[in-house]
Amino acid sequence: MRTLYFWIVGTLLIAPFVVVLGVSVGASSNIAFPPESLSIIWYRELLTEPEWLAAIGRSLLIAVVAGLIATVLALAINYVLWRTKTGFAKATFALGLGPFLLPPIILALGASLFWAQVGWYGRMEATIISHGVFFVTLPLVIIARGFAALTDEVVEAAQMMGATPAQVFRTVVFPLVAPYVFTGFALVAIISVNEYLIANMISGFVVETLPIKIFNNVRYGYSPVVAAASIFFVALTVTILLILSRITDLVALFGTSKDT
Amino acid sequence: MGAARMMRMPSYGSRLISGLAFGVMAVFFVVPLIFMIVVSFYQPDPMGFYKVDFVWENYAKFFSSFYYTVSLRSLYSSALGAVLVVAFAFPLVLFVSDLSRSHQQFWIISLLSLMCLSEVIIGFAWLILMSQSAGIPGFLEWIGLWDNPRSLSPSFGAMMIGLVFLGFSIVALILYPSVSRRDRSIEEAAVTLGTPPRLVFFKILLPTFRASLVPVTLTMFVYMLGVFVMPTMLGRPKDWTMTVIISDKALGDANLPLGAALAVVMLIVTVLVLIASAVLTRRRTP
Repeated sequence: MRTLYFWIVGTLLIAPFVVVLGVSVGASSNIAFPPESLSIIWYRELLTEPEWLAAIGRSLLIAVVAGLIATVLALAINYVLWRTKTGFAKATFALGLGPFLLPPIILALGASLFWAQVGWYGRMEATIISHGVFFVTLPLVIIARGFAALTDEVVEAAQMMGATPAQVFRTVVFPLVAPYVFTGFALVAIISVNEYLIANMISGFVVETLPIKIFNNVRYGYSPVVAAASIFFVALTVTILLILSRITDLVALFGTSKDT
Repeated sequence: MGAARMMRMPSYGSRLISGLAFGVMAVFFVVPLIFMIVVSFYQPDPMGFYKVDFVWENYAKFFSSFYYTVSLRSLYSSALGAVLVVAFAFPLVLFVSDLSRSHQQFWIISLLSLMCLSEVIIGFAWLILMSQSAGIPGFLEWIGLWDNPRSLSPSFGAMMIGLVFLGFSIVALILYPSVSRRDRSIEEAAVTLGTPPRLVFFKILLPTFRASLVPVTLTMFVYMLGVFVMPTMLGRPKDWTMTVIISDKALGDANLPLGAALAVVMLIVTVLVLIASAVLTRRRTP
């Protein structure tokens, strides 16, 4: 019964991707599964067609810079909260939880109106800043765990030796929270690269990211290149998460298991 | 002066960092929301964006039959989706939490990958899986169960499958910490006394986790109100939810004030659900 449930859920979770993979390596330009003959032409098209390459490049650039913004913001908020514990710092932390709680369409429409008013419609910077600010919640919560694990003794020891707050941060605090910071950065980058609605509402007609391009392709008649692009995404996401699981204990990060 | 006390004193530097971080969040998160509320009272302008004004017209339109029906339908499909996804994910989390550590890690990474994956890709994958040429209908024809297959999407069922799939990993990851840390002694005692597993689930586990299951269902409800890609890719136009209509008004018809008004209504519903969720959680935990 238990094993059966595992198999059913596992199959249902994986089935869509198996079919997409099958379509992406098929030689026929019609969507067909199982493929009649294998070929990599769709991957070649994905990685040589300038339009697809441009979308990939844009998406990666947005993801990396948005990831940096979100992590720096989350680190700053957590650092001040840890150092001062003032009501203002707590309020800033609470504000950072906000974007996660609201349906993205509300954030997207607000940002879209805001950037149009500012006159930045169609600029990639607008998408980057909005992604960076809206996805701050995840690194905020993850880095908070890093600060919670920080013991007072190491910090006091450093201060005893005459270190300034900046030196304490650079030599003691940052190295200890660095794994959490990196995890937060990677998760924001992954989410940003995959995000459709906000990017599309802010300046989707001009700044065409990979998800926007895939969506438009699916809507207006699609070729197996879309399947290749999807598999490219899945591979990218899973690879980064696997690397992350080597660096930090993801199981512990998402809740402690019974023996820890 | 002790080192610990010195640490608690807000210095000039930390005040500056704090102010900057708050400022960034306020300007790029709070101001756009406030501006959206302001725009919802403007006049729509067919030639451009909007005319500065103060009218209730956009909200009045919400209570006209079409938008009213759409929002009721969105509430229905989100509620149904939220209940279904929790009903499917909760048993899985229970089972996973009893696995060995390395198997747990496998499931966590898989679920995390699914959570990060684009709605667009999941929608596309299901679109293919439900298509006549490459998906389940073709497979059923091949094994001889369906003589005359046709595509299963777009339909309400396809949209619901997409929604449940999308929420599944999120619910599982939210429930995982509390489930994996649960006190197993009561279940074990019940099993030792010969209680059948089904009874253990309904009489012990379900009541124990009501305090986590209710808020996560409400969270999912809010989440599903905001899903855009699944209804457009897998649903029929008559299954479209409020999110699709808002995006359609804002981008398609360029009626930004109406889109903003609809989004404000959704914001109010969201805040009410969040408050309800907070109240319910607080009451359960002593």
